Parts: sequence; structure tokens; C-alpha cells
Amino acid sequence: MSPRLRRSTRPFPPDETLPEPVRPAGLVLDARLHLLDRQTLDVDDVPVATVDDLEIGPPGSSLLAGTDSVFVTALLSGPVLATRIFGGRPPASRLHRIDWRHVTDVGTTVRLGVHGDSLDVLWVERWVRDHVIGRIPGGRHDPG
Amino acid sequence: MKRLLGVALGILTAIGGFLDIGDLVTNAVVGSRFGLTLAWVVLVGVVGICLFAQMSGRVAAVSGRATFEIIRERLGPRTAGANLVASFLINLLTLTAEVGGIALALQLASSVEPRLWIPVAGLAVWLVIWRTKFSVMENVTGLLGLTLVVFAVAVFLLGPDWASLGSQALSPTVPAEEGAASYWYYAIALFGAAMTPYEVFFFSSGAREERWTAKDIAESRINVLVGFPFGGVLSVAIAACAAIVFLPQAIEVSSLSQIVLPVALAGGKLALAVVIVGIVAATFGAALETGLSSGYTLAQFFGWSWGKFRRPAQAARFHLTMIVAMLVAVGVLMTSVDPIRVTEFSVVFSAIALPLTYLPILLVANDPEYMGEHVNGRATNALALVYLVVIVVASLAAIPLMIVTGAGS
Amino acid sequence: MILGDLLDAPVVDSSGRVLGFVVDVRLVLDGPVDGLLAAPRVHGLLVSPRTGTSFLGYERTGLDAPALLARFLRWRHRGSFLVHWTDVEVASADGVRLADGYRRWSPAIPGVAHQRP
Repeated sequence: MSPRLRRSTRPFPPDETLPEPVRPAGLVLDARLHLLDRQTLDVDDVPVATVDDLEIGPPGSSLLAGTDSVFVTALLSGPVLATRIFGGRPPASRLHRIDWRHVTDVGTTVRLGVHGDSLDVLWVERWVRDHVIGRIPGGRHDPG
Repeated sequence: MKRLLGVALGILTAIGGFLDIGDLVTNAVVGSRFGLTLAWVVLVGVVGICLFAQMSGRVAAVSGRATFEIIRERLGPRTAGANLVASFLINLLTLTAEVGGIALALQLASSVEPRLWIPVAGLAVWLVIWRTKFSVMENVTGLLGLTLVVFAVAVFLLGPDWASLGSQALSPTVPAEEGAASYWYYAIALFGAAMTPYEVFFFSSGAREERWTAKDIAESRINVLVGFPFGGVLSVAIAACAAIVFLPQAIEVSSLSQIVLPVALAGGKLALAVVIVGIVAATFGAALETGLSSGYTLAQFFGWSWGKFRRPAQAARFHLTMIVAMLVAVGVLMTSVDPIRVTEFSVVFSAIALPLTYLPILLVANDPEYMGEHVNGRATNALALVYLVVIVVASLAAIPLMIVTGAGS
Repeated sequence: MILGDLLDAPVVDSSGRVLGFVVDVRLVLDGPVDGLLAAPRVHGLLVSPRTGTSFLGYERTGLDAPALLARFLRWRHRGSFLVHWTDVEVASADGVRLADGYRRWSPAIPGVAHQRP
């Protein structure tokens, strides 16, 4: 069962009307709702990876709180998925990053302005292509 | 004219593609034990798969997102991951059953031991996945699968007691020699056979393979709404054949030769040849669909490049997944498990896993961010909510019933 | 840090009272331009009394179909609120502590019609 507060310990009445905040000037994205677990496509519409997590910076752990200058710096993919499922934390060296500057559009997919071949996240795909699939006869031809 | 031909072709392939080893086996077993008293479940299942396939096809056509991408986006990695594990294993079970079905059908035609046919069947399925164009693959197996119409012809040739069949179908009661638990267990199996999740993975991914857009929605709706009900009629015909021949003798169908026996009795050698062609086509087609679905589900969950419209080298992990799945299926079959038993389990597990696939599609089909003006209408949503309840109840009831009945035996 | 660290973390006020759990992080694309788009600035945290099913977002969007499901999911997450990041004192994987005098805001995503149950 996922964590929740028991009804008796809830700090606020459930049906109060909260004030609407001032509308920010930029596009509003809720990370989980609009960014996490979405498909990224490269400049040729080829799938690259699913957004498994986001890196926020500047680096530092709890020092970030309370300031107005914390930004998403990269999309993360790869082993970090396991930590979102099972908890824990991968070593920083094993994070596969796609820098935010490559992102050109956020919709039902996240579009990148670069070729997938130039990205580290696709090394497994390239390895399987070069060592397995590309070596089977017909693997590099259009289907009949 | 060309458009009309396209629609006709789509309908015919939908009919031929509806039936797979799950429908063949479950309907024949049910027919031999319960007559047509469970025919109403086929109706419920067909309406359900029409609704579900139509929604997932519309989502894929409008938003360009296939089903497992949607599942991941909506449910998050944890729940979607659980669904992935379940769906992938069930899909593998179904793939195993289908390849086994091809081998059994070829055995009927040739009297060569199925274990010799299994590697041949597995290799043939993989070669088609590897090299053949998507539309060719779909149409050829679908059209050849139409020969299963011979089950419907056989019902007439057998000259049954129509009044008795009619009363079984229209006022169903649990047969005296069967328990209520078995009755409901097989009701869920039939429901699962009609509404297998892989059909939806395949259908929505196929929409991407064939590059559907919002313009193709109307045509796909006709294919589904006309083709699947005809497929359902064939399902009932299979049950009726078994009911006519085996129910009075109290023989339970447990092999493929028994499934085709009524057709041979009714139409002789020619009919037998036709039905074997039909079964090979249906199981071959379904093996292609489940084989591809194993690649679709995994690739879409992890965001890999996928699709038969790409060269295999441009969707390397997708193709590697399918190769591994096929090797596992062939390996399992070579241990001489009975494909018929594998099938019986696969349809029930399909029913168990269904809610986690159905719910995200229903939610996204209502989300204007994805669907624009093509969101579900009120009538669709009303029906979809009724089915949500049916699907959840069937899923929750399946395991207790499986234990109580000893998996229906 | 990784955004996933914050998700599902418990949220307490300065006296240590548990207010709920982080169910999402609100970003606003108004940071310095980084490539083609502005960098997403961490704007606030969405806090709910329960973590399950919040990712569906029915308490934040104006989505109301299918009506029964939408109403049920919104009802489950009544009591959700937004706190601005500037009101956050400590944020780590172990939990989030809010500053004294923090304010709670409606969780609705600005610009979409929000309907109360």
C-alpha cells in the first residue's frame, strides 16, 4: 500500500477552498504529469529513450531549498529507472544524461534537436545493432 | 472503388485475424462440456474487444502513441513495470501456445511428430517477422484464416437439434454434471480468449506501423465493428460443433484432433484439409502478432526504437527481444509441454492482467491533450465504465476460481 | 540532485507535523534560455495526503471524463495543495520541511478550468 495520512491525522479540512496562486509568466509543467515517463524523439522522429528522471541543479543537496534559482538541467535515462521503481540511488557516474539544451519541444512527446547517434544514452542500442542484429543477413535492409 | 476494396480487405482480415489458438481451444472445450450455455460470454467478449480495440486504435491514430507508451505515461514506472512483467510473460505463454498450435496442425496434416515441426514453425514465424512487410503479413494470414468459416458450415452439415442448441444459448443454465465454479471459471477463460491484451498491443502498434492518422479512424472502426463480431460468430460455431458431437457422449475435448473432428465428420477429407489450412493460418498469424507484441511492449516501456517499418538494424533491441522470445517459446515447447494446456492457462491469465491495460487507455481516450476533438463520446464512456467493472470483477474472480476448480479440471 | 528523490517524500511543517507527501513538482519554463527553450525553474511542490494514483493528476486538471472515474480520483486527492519552492526550507530524499509562515495554494494548473467535486 502506498504511503498516506490517515483521515484522523490529516492536518487540514478536506473541503476548504484554497486561493489561486498568481499565474507564472512561463509555461507550467508538472514534472510527473507532463515530463516523466514520456517518450523522447530525436530530430528525425526516432525514439531515443523514455524520460526516467530529471536532474535538478545547481549541484548540492538540501542547499537548494528556498531559492528562486533551481532549474532542471538534464533528462535522465537508464539505470535510474530501477531506483524510481525500487528506491535507492545509482552512482552519479552511471546516470545517462540528455542535457536540457537539446530539448526543442514538450508535448505528448519530448522532442530533441539532435541525432540520437550523438547521445550516450543509446550506446546499448548501438552495441546490439553492431554486434547482433546488424550481423544477421537482411538486418540492414528494408523489410521486403 | 479502391477504397471500398481496402475496407473489404480490412474486414476480412479482422475476421480471419480474430481467431487464435486461445479461441479455438477454449470454445471447443467449453462446447464439449457446457454446450452453448456460455455463448453469451462470447457476445460480452466481442463487444468488449470492439470497444477496447477501437479506443486504442483511435488513441494511436490521433496521438501517435501506442498502448504501452500510454501505460507507462499514465501509471508511472512502478505500476506500469508490474504490468509489463505480467503482460510480457502472458504474451510469451500465448506465443508458446500459438507456435505449438502451428506444430499440432502441421502434425494433423503430415503425421510427423510435432517436436519436429516446432523449430520449423518457430523459424518460419521469425523469418516472416524479420523480412516481410507488415501489410502483406497481416493480409495473407487474415485471408487464409477465413477458411475457418468451415466450422460454421459444419454446424449446418451436422444437422443438429436446433431447438436444443437455441435453448442452451438463449436461456443458459449450468449443466447438471458441472459445478457452478467450473462454469464461471470457463466464462472467464472465454472472456480472456476474446479480450487478450496482446490483441490491443498489436492493434495499436499496428496503427503506428501503417501510419494511421485521424483520417483513418472511420475505416478502422468499420473493420473492428464488422470484422470482430463475425469472428465471434465463428467462435460460437466452434463451440457448437463440439457441443453437437461431444456433449451427448460426455467427452471432453483435450486435443487439436478432437477440435477438428466435427468438421471431418461433417465434410470429409476436403473439409478437414480446409480447416487445417485455417488453423495453421490463424495460429501462424497470432504467433506473428504475439511475437511482435513481445517486442512492442518492452520497447515502448523503455522508449526504444521499434517497428517493422524500420530496418531491423534501426530497431536493434526491439528485434533482439523478439528473437529471444521466440527461442524461449521453442525451448519451452521442446520439453513436450502440451500446447493445449498452455493455451488454457494463457487465456485465464490474460483476463487477470486486463485491467492494468484497459484503464490507461480509457483515461487517455478522454484526455484532450492527446486526443483533441477525438475524445470518447458519452455513449462510449458509459459502455466503457460498465466494461471496466466487468473486467475488474473477472480479473479478481479468476484466481480464486482457478484454485477452487483446479484450473477447470 | 534528482527530481525522483523528492517524489513521495513526506512533507512536514516547521514544528514537525506531517502535512502529506510530495506527489509532483511544478516547473515553470521561465529560467535562463538553455538551447531552444527556457530552463524549467522549480516553482513549487504539490502535496497530497496520499501518494497512490496522484500521478493521474485529476485533482489538478479540468479533466472531467469519464465523469464517475474523474470524480472518484479527484475525491481521493481532495486536500491536495501547492507550496511555492521559496517556502521550502529543507528538501532531500528523506523529507521536505517547510519554512515558518508557508502558504498553501490551490493545486490546479493555471490556465485550465478546475472543477470542484
